[in-house]
Amino acid sequence: MIFEKRTERIFLATFFIIALCIPLFLESNSFFVGKATTILILAIFVMSLDFLVGRVGLVTLGHALFYGLGGYLFVILTPEYEAVNFWIYAIYVMCVSAFVALVVGVVVLRTSGIYFIMITLAISQMVYYFFFDSLHFGGGDGLFIFIKPDTSIFGLSFLNLDNPTHFYYLALLGVLITLLTIKIVLRSRFGRIVEASRLNPARTEALGYNIFSFKLISYVIGSTLAAYAGLLFALQYGYVNPQFMTWEMSGTALVMSILGGMGTIYGAILGTITYEGLQYFFEHMSKDWMLFMGGSIILMVLLLRKGLAGYLEKLLEK
Amino acid sequence: MANKIILETESLSKHWGGIKALDDISLQFHDKQLHGVVGPNGAGKSTLLNMLCGALKPSSGCIFHNGEQIEGMKPWNFVRRGIGRSFQKTNIYADITCLENCAVAAQRRFTGSFNLFASRHSNKMVTEAAEKALYQVGLGNRISSIAAEISYGEQRQLELAMVLATDPCILLLDEPMAGMGHEESLRIIELLNELKKSYSIVLVEHDMDAIFELSDQLTVLDNGTHLITGTVDEVRNEPRVKEAYLGKEEEEETA
Repeated sequence: MIFEKRTERIFLATFFIIALCIPLFLESNSFFVGKATTILILAIFVMSLDFLVGRVGLVTLGHALFYGLGGYLFVILTPEYEAVNFWIYAIYVMCVSAFVALVVGVVVLRTSGIYFIMITLAISQMVYYFFFDSLHFGGGDGLFIFIKPDTSIFGLSFLNLDNPTHFYYLALLGVLITLLTIKIVLRSRFGRIVEASRLNPARTEALGYNIFSFKLISYVIGSTLAAYAGLLFALQYGYVNPQFMTWEMSGTALVMSILGGMGTIYGAILGTITYEGLQYFFEHMSKDWMLFMGGSIILMVLLLRKGLAGYLEKLLEK
Repeated sequence: MANKIILETESLSKHWGGIKALDDISLQFHDKQLHGVVGPNGAGKSTLLNMLCGALKPSSGCIFHNGEQIEGMKPWNFVRRGIGRSFQKTNIYADITCLENCAVAAQRRFTGSFNLFASRHSNKMVTEAAEKALYQVGLGNRISSIAAEISYGEQRQLELAMVLATDPCILLLDEPMAGMGHEESLRIIELLNELKKSYSIVLVEHDMDAIFELSDQLTVLDNGTHLITGTVDEVRNEPRVKEAYLGKEEEEETA
């Protein structure tokens, strides 16, 4: 069983049942289906960050770099007025992103602690301004996707990306795949050494492991998943712009992951839903929603030391 | 000394800027023997151990393992060659079980640490090797305890079990009895007596009774220099050793 905790199993079962049914109730309201889709896509991004920060021990402030990269690469790599196959191009984009993560990783992983935070931030800001100032990639306005890709596999087509409900299920599938990928990697023999390197790097090295390569591979996995999330987000809204890569984006994802319960992975889903839910609620309640938003997050972080997942575990774990 | 030389240093030195931590040390460590290293605080014992396990690079000099020069290699390659070390300050994975602690140590021997898919529990050989190491040090009843929750003495034993689980041929032990009670120390002495039949052990220890009892060869370091290496009796009767340790007393006598 890759889901070791009871709380984890209960939460995920509940989540997937509700998530599967949501479009049935909201069929008439494509705004809410779109909102739910965005939350799912963000959950993929936050899970990939939670994996890196909470499980590998790499506190990165530049994770949004790969979120934006996924979107940009898709637009750049596809011909402008032609429907391409989604699956083939998704794999293509992820492979290129993985390569970029490998190169970036080799540089940033030479540092640790506060220096790692600073250098990941610096590199992502560098790429942000590169896209912001480049006329070729649309500058601050970004690039547009005019034609949605088709999603047929061997000629069989069961998803139409122009249909919000279909797109919603594609995002839900993404959540499932991301969750399974991370959980399988964490449970693996590789994951054992990754866990050991986080708990005690010096000892792990003294036991004969080159922890750099373990961190690098983890970094590539986390970044590639983030790129997939960015690709989905770009497809949903039909554009990609430098806002995808801001450090606020990385920071918000970090807050969501902390809110959900750092390192629990499923907590990332919980944190994303809660954060987005709160924001929606306060936005409609008051013009000063940021004040309430900030206040409630401070309150939750103070009261729930191990995040929402930690609180759930206290309730459900015997 | 019939046993073959397994590890050897040749004019090994380490200095930090102008300060010499260790100067011109040439030692030979034999197979199936316990080689004690003693010396006052700051003598360079830990520095020596850190260089022997590859964590520190020597400023000059060589280290030979089975005749092969190894001092330039990466630390993890030292372990892969069978040079395992334990730490003076307990250095374990506090949040996971004793079995997992040893499994991390054992897994490297059975390949596949870059396997992203196979469950970590799927290789029986890793689990068995980890269990064996725990039984070896007498922690058979603590297999599924969280490492942070066992007693200090047991954590020291776990520290040793982790080294054993890497399947070394040389054990570099940095004060395995540090901070232990009398009873626990006796247990470790008994264990080391057993282990030296099959391993080459380099033991740094402050407990003089223990080291006199266990050592086949004894080296005394003082202030970064090599004072003497010999059998326990040779070292005991060496006036320079008394000077290094009891310098003050002698001054009082002469005064």
